[in-house]
Amino acid sequence: MARYGMALDYNNCINCKACEVACKEENGVLLGADKYRIWVGVKEAEGEYPNISIASQTYHPSQCQHCDNAPCQQVCPTHATYYDDYGVVRVDVEKCILCTYCINACPYDARYVDDRTVTVDKCNFCSDTRLADGETTTACQATCPTKVRTFGDLDDPNSEISQLLSHREYRRVKEHLGTKPKLFYLL
Amino acid sequence: MNNFSIKNLFTFKITSLNLLVAVITIGLLSAFMAGAVYYFLHGHHVYNVTRQHPWGLLIAMYVFFVVSSTGLCLISSIGHVFGIKEFQQIGKRAIAGAIITLVSGFAVIALEIGHPVTMLIYNVLTPGLTSAIWWMGTLYGIYLVFITFEFYFLAIKIDHKWAKIFGIGGLLSGLAAHSNLGAVFGFLISRPSANGVFYPVYFILSAMITGCYLLYLIYGFKYRNNYPEALKPMLIKLNKILGMLLGILIFFEGWKIITALYGNVPNRAATVLHAIGSPTFIYGEVLLGMLVPFFIILISNGKAIKPMVYASLTGMVGIFFMRYDLVHDTLIYPMTLLKRSEYQLAPTFIEYFPSITEMAIGFGGIGIAIALFYIAEKVFNLDAEKVDE
Repeated sequence: MARYGMALDYNNCINCKACEVACKEENGVLLGADKYRIWVGVKEAEGEYPNISIASQTYHPSQCQHCDNAPCQQVCPTHATYYDDYGVVRVDVEKCILCTYCINACPYDARYVDDRTVTVDKCNFCSDTRLADGETTTACQATCPTKVRTFGDLDDPNSEISQLLSHREYRRVKEHLGTKPKLFYLL
Repeated sequence: MNNFSIKNLFTFKITSLNLLVAVITIGLLSAFMAGAVYYFLHGHHVYNVTRQHPWGLLIAMYVFFVVSSTGLCLISSIGHVFGIKEFQQIGKRAIAGAIITLVSGFAVIALEIGHPVTMLIYNVLTPGLTSAIWWMGTLYGIYLVFITFEFYFLAIKIDHKWAKIFGIGGLLSGLAAHSNLGAVFGFLISRPSANGVFYPVYFILSAMITGCYLLYLIYGFKYRNNYPEALKPMLIKLNKILGMLLGILIFFEGWKIITALYGNVPNRAATVLHAIGSPTFIYGEVLLGMLVPFFIILISNGKAIKPMVYASLTGMVGIFFMRYDLVHDTLIYPMTLLKRSEYQLAPTFIEYFPSITEMAIGFGGIGIAIALFYIAEKVFNLDAEKVDE
């Protein structure tokens, strides 16, 4: 069984936000400032005028980190948040009671309330909309013009993501919390 | 039980204080009803909670009520579980209060949880045993059963042996439930200012303080500060217990703040520094909730009964701010540390102020508690039996 993860060559990100649009379109995410599964964070340029380091301004695409040790899954009182067979952290809308404990527990601000189902929603690597149909890419990956994102099976040594992670250095976000994220930011 | 009739229910001695409490209670009940209707019409959008601040006043008020319930249960157990004679006379009234405040808390949280019926079903079918909320909710359910039976054997079918057995059950399940409520916050690894052992212990301590405050208020109102001789020894002992508990709380809080600030650990130190500078902490928690009652007890050498009734009023206001700050301070540090668009300001401490609907439901819960207590006083004889005295 595959174990999905994503590598992000974030230095290539041009902040076009095509991934945000593709995610909303693919998964029917509603409009609204609070309603998003993925986003591009902007790290501001460092320094004071005229000594501003242009190179220090970077873009940081982010979303649910699909932690192997997910705090949101541990705190869910009804097992509405669960790991599917591919290690993807998902929400069962039938069981979600909207206590929003998972939103509090997530260190990555990756969850929000979906007004369509009135339950908590988050990135699920397009499990319903693409992977279930046999596709092997996510909407955000497929649309990215600079190929920031590489999605694939971490347990397959020949997959593109495994190859990338084997010869590129990477970091993971808030790794010190012991969450074991499956999003890898390539350096 | 008393002879109960509808006419009797609406008959009370007309005094200015009684009328004032009646008007406040009706106002709060009306606010609760209006808030509930508005919530049913528009859902969570009528609350000012957001993605970054998903819990608000209603969670704080739920904690406020269940803290009150646990506190009343713990203090009453001094008498009918541990056998301290002076405290046996408060048993019925305190346990009635514990049931009522818990029910009021459930009424408030039912309007915060998005799907309370689903919760009842899947809490049983697919229990999340690693979730502090699951344990807290389940244990509070067990606690409610225990204290309801305890009250039954104290006030309806009087049987002290069974009252004590259920009292012990209520005490243990209440301690377990309430410390788990602390763990709901203490388990949040994403929130370093809350994460750790402090809250589970602090919740029990502050519950006992809340129980003391409430007993002063309940008896102060009932006897209009003109107490029977049999009650005074209990109230003086309560003074000393409260003084000791407040001293421990001040000590705990002091060290919690010092350890949080020491070393300037990212996220934790900044959050706590921000929290202790807020007026709700300085004037609400510290001044009203701790220092005013503590100094009255110190100055009177632990014998102030009448001033403590008024100090308990400020104390309960302080306890409210403790609950409010507990929720708010846990959530103020932004989890996303980068901007999301070019012209957006960098994330800063998250702001929250409750909506009118949240206030109507949250504070309206106090109206439910007062109304239920009034009904309980009319239906049951909550005074001590002669054999107790």
